[in-house]
Amino acid sequence: MEEILIELRNISKQFPGVLANDNINLEIKKGEIHAIVGENGAGKSTLMNILYGLHEPTAGEIYFKGNPVRFTSPLDAIKLGIGMVHQHFMLVPSFTVAENIVLGIEPKRKKFLVDREKAIKETKELSQTYGLAVDPEIKVESLSVGIQQRVEILKALYKGADVLILDEPTAVLTPQETAELFKVIRKLVDELGKTIIIITHKLQEVLAISTRVSVMRQGKLVGTLDTKDANEHLLAEMMVGREVLFDKLEKKPTEKNEVLKVNGLRAKDNRGLLALKDISFSLKSGEILGIAGIEGNGQSELVEVLAGLRKKDGGEFYINGVEASDKSPREIRKLGIAHVPEDRLAMGLSTEASIAENMLMGSQYDEPYRMKGIHLNKLKIKEMSKKLIKEFDIRTPSEETLAGNLSGGNMQKVVIAREFSFNTPILIISQPTRGVDIGAIEFIHTQIIEKRNEGCAILLISAELDEIFRLSDRIMTIYEGRITGEFDAGQITRQEIGLYMTGKNMNSSEEGA
Amino acid sequence: MKSILKKGNLEYLTSLFISILASLLIGALIMMANSRSPLVGYGALITGAFGSTYSLATTFAKTVPLVLTGLATAISFRSGISNIGGEGQLYLGAFAAAYVGITFTNIPGFLGIALAILAGALVGGIYAFFPALLKVKYQVDEVITTIMLNTVATLFTGYLVNYPFASSQGKMGGTEMITESFRLSRLVRLSTLNTSIFFMGFIAIVIYYLMEKTSFGYDSKMVGQNSLFGRYGGIKDKKQMVVAMVISGALCGLAGVFEVIGVHYRFLQHISPGYAFDGMLIALIVKNNPIGVILMSIFFGALKTGSISMENAIGIPSELVSVIQAIIILFIAGETGFKNIYKNWRLKKLHQGKVGEENV
Repeated sequence: MEEILIELRNISKQFPGVLANDNINLEIKKGEIHAIVGENGAGKSTLMNILYGLHEPTAGEIYFKGNPVRFTSPLDAIKLGIGMVHQHFMLVPSFTVAENIVLGIEPKRKKFLVDREKAIKETKELSQTYGLAVDPEIKVESLSVGIQQRVEILKALYKGADVLILDEPTAVLTPQETAELFKVIRKLVDELGKTIIIITHKLQEVLAISTRVSVMRQGKLVGTLDTKDANEHLLAEMMVGREVLFDKLEKKPTEKNEVLKVNGLRAKDNRGLLALKDISFSLKSGEILGIAGIEGNGQSELVEVLAGLRKKDGGEFYINGVEASDKSPREIRKLGIAHVPEDRLAMGLSTEASIAENMLMGSQYDEPYRMKGIHLNKLKIKEMSKKLIKEFDIRTPSEETLAGNLSGGNMQKVVIAREFSFNTPILIISQPTRGVDIGAIEFIHTQIIEKRNEGCAILLISAELDEIFRLSDRIMTIYEGRITGEFDAGQITRQEIGLYMTGKNMNSSEEGA
Repeated sequence: MKSILKKGNLEYLTSLFISILASLLIGALIMMANSRSPLVGYGALITGAFGSTYSLATTFAKTVPLVLTGLATAISFRSGISNIGGEGQLYLGAFAAAYVGITFTNIPGFLGIALAILAGALVGGIYAFFPALLKVKYQVDEVITTIMLNTVATLFTGYLVNYPFASSQGKMGGTEMITESFRLSRLVRLSTLNTSIFFMGFIAIVIYYLMEKTSFGYDSKMVGQNSLFGRYGGIKDKKQMVVAMVISGALCGLAGVFEVIGVHYRFLQHISPGYAFDGMLIALIVKNNPIGVILMSIFFGALKTGSISMENAIGIPSELVSVIQAIIILFIAGETGFKNIYKNWRLKKLHQGKVGEENV
């Protein structure tokens, strides 16, 4: 149990402009579940990619069972029994489970032909040995995300992995699927003697599953400790480098009037398939309505329709009683919806433009930024940017800095500052803290609550259940383009929400909210 | 001017300067390989371009079409739509001006000039409008359509001047001379420099203002950088692209107009030696910065003018200048790559110094 399997000594990795790993020393013991935590950009993935042979370190050595080894490609790591399950699955959707598992080292018939029979047989055996039930002959594209992940794990095991690196394995899972995964991990370790390295930023999971935990911050390893000696507060502090105050967010009682009414809304996705099927709800001032759901169940389409960026296919919606479907993005903004998009890089910003230019978006036709004719008042724009930079604590040398040079958290603050400053009665906020560091998350959450307390109606879409639970007054679940449940916050547990998010409730009796 | 000297720009100006220097150096090596003295060669080039009133005037005369086509490229590229059809728009604009000049011979001069300018800009703009429309309506690649329309325009005008509008002196690939009162006056004896440079100056100021100081310019820039962001922010991105393309076409048309009413006084079958393409190169080199377009156009104009003197002085063919231009482009195109190589090399150096030191 105490045998040291892998040792990383003085590992550094330099990318142009960033020192992603800075002199890291890490020991992985045989048979442990070793969690690696850290904020986005702390260097977790880089370190694991080095261990898996995807990157070569700029300096330092790797020892495997006491012998120095050098990985020039993943093949070297695989040979030693190191396997990795990436955050984004590397499966061929149109292949069957068995075909995916044997891909690259297929059993051969007459030297050239793939022996499918044998592949299926081996997959069955594998799945029995490890107690990971899968149907070898089903196509991967028809599997749920949780099962696809299982296929990924089997794939690594098929290649003979004794050490499994799991990169953010729970990011795309429901609470139920996460519990299922943890069972599998325990079995692999306890009964089959595997070693697991799990990368994550969710501290509760670290405490739930790991035996030891290493914390990384800004490319450095802050420390490694036994999980039994750790708690959430301590880990958060180590990750951020200062005390993190998880302040109770104070919600004030507010006056609640209906400001947004959505009636039987339908819309198609980019492939022309119906992504929204009959969505109806109402949003009131002074409340946060959270939409919980696994990504890709119509959330993006719903937000885009409400923001005027996607044509509806049926139904309608009203802003303060005014029919607003089929209006342009600009008209909708004027009617009272501002919108923080889910993907700030794709839609929320131009990375090549300055912060000031990004802040101007949406007000470029309005006084006082545009004076008579089409002349822009640079002075006013500069003033406004400076004010927002200060108010929203955006860390930047100046308002002339290109948005692309900011960190994820500061970029997000630029988007939030701009949208919040429109002072619209309705705010649609999508994935407000995706890829944002803890300090900024705190700040953004406080800002959202403040807006609510001022009487703004907020529609919050997030893939992080924690965020939904922390902020919402009401929670709706969405599954395959339909609202599957609606609850007052506090009336429902995460486990229950998980069921509604996967549509599991639909056959059971109507319980209502 | 202050904004030009921002940090990012400074870095770019440095690489631009190094690129130009390096390409001149390679030019010098080519001269030496032909056993000519680069000092004499470049000396002749400089005197040829700036040495006398006449050469200065010629340099600036060459600058006029370059600035117009350069700005045309800048405004379209910045909006995220690529007008590669400048040459065709220039030819049609030039022909329109010539048509006005040989048809409406009875109206006063200033009216005729205004009419010629208007007609040229209009024709160029319309010729750019259609590919833009196809682009935003049906996603037809504007690069391909505009390139092909170049050929259509040059061949069509070629037909016009050889058949319906052939000059009475015979089929010499040109129209009749335009009415004398429509001709812009020359500014310096013997050179082709004419008052069109004032028109150009005025147009350049307008375009600079439009691109840098207005909500129109802002919208263009945002749509060009991230059209989804623009649409999300309430910009009508498709309209923005079409308008930018039409302005671009009009500018190219104007370049053609000034060649007719300022330089040749008639439309010629081969009136442009590829001005629009030179303009495009210029815009690419200065990354669509309007002030950069003007400065780089003067530089290109000087190279073109000086190259003749260079050829006369030491017998190096004036084509060497094209080689130098091409090398500048190559260096600029590789700018990011070179920068990365340089940065990596510096990192390596830095790191070698750091290994062994403890956590810093």
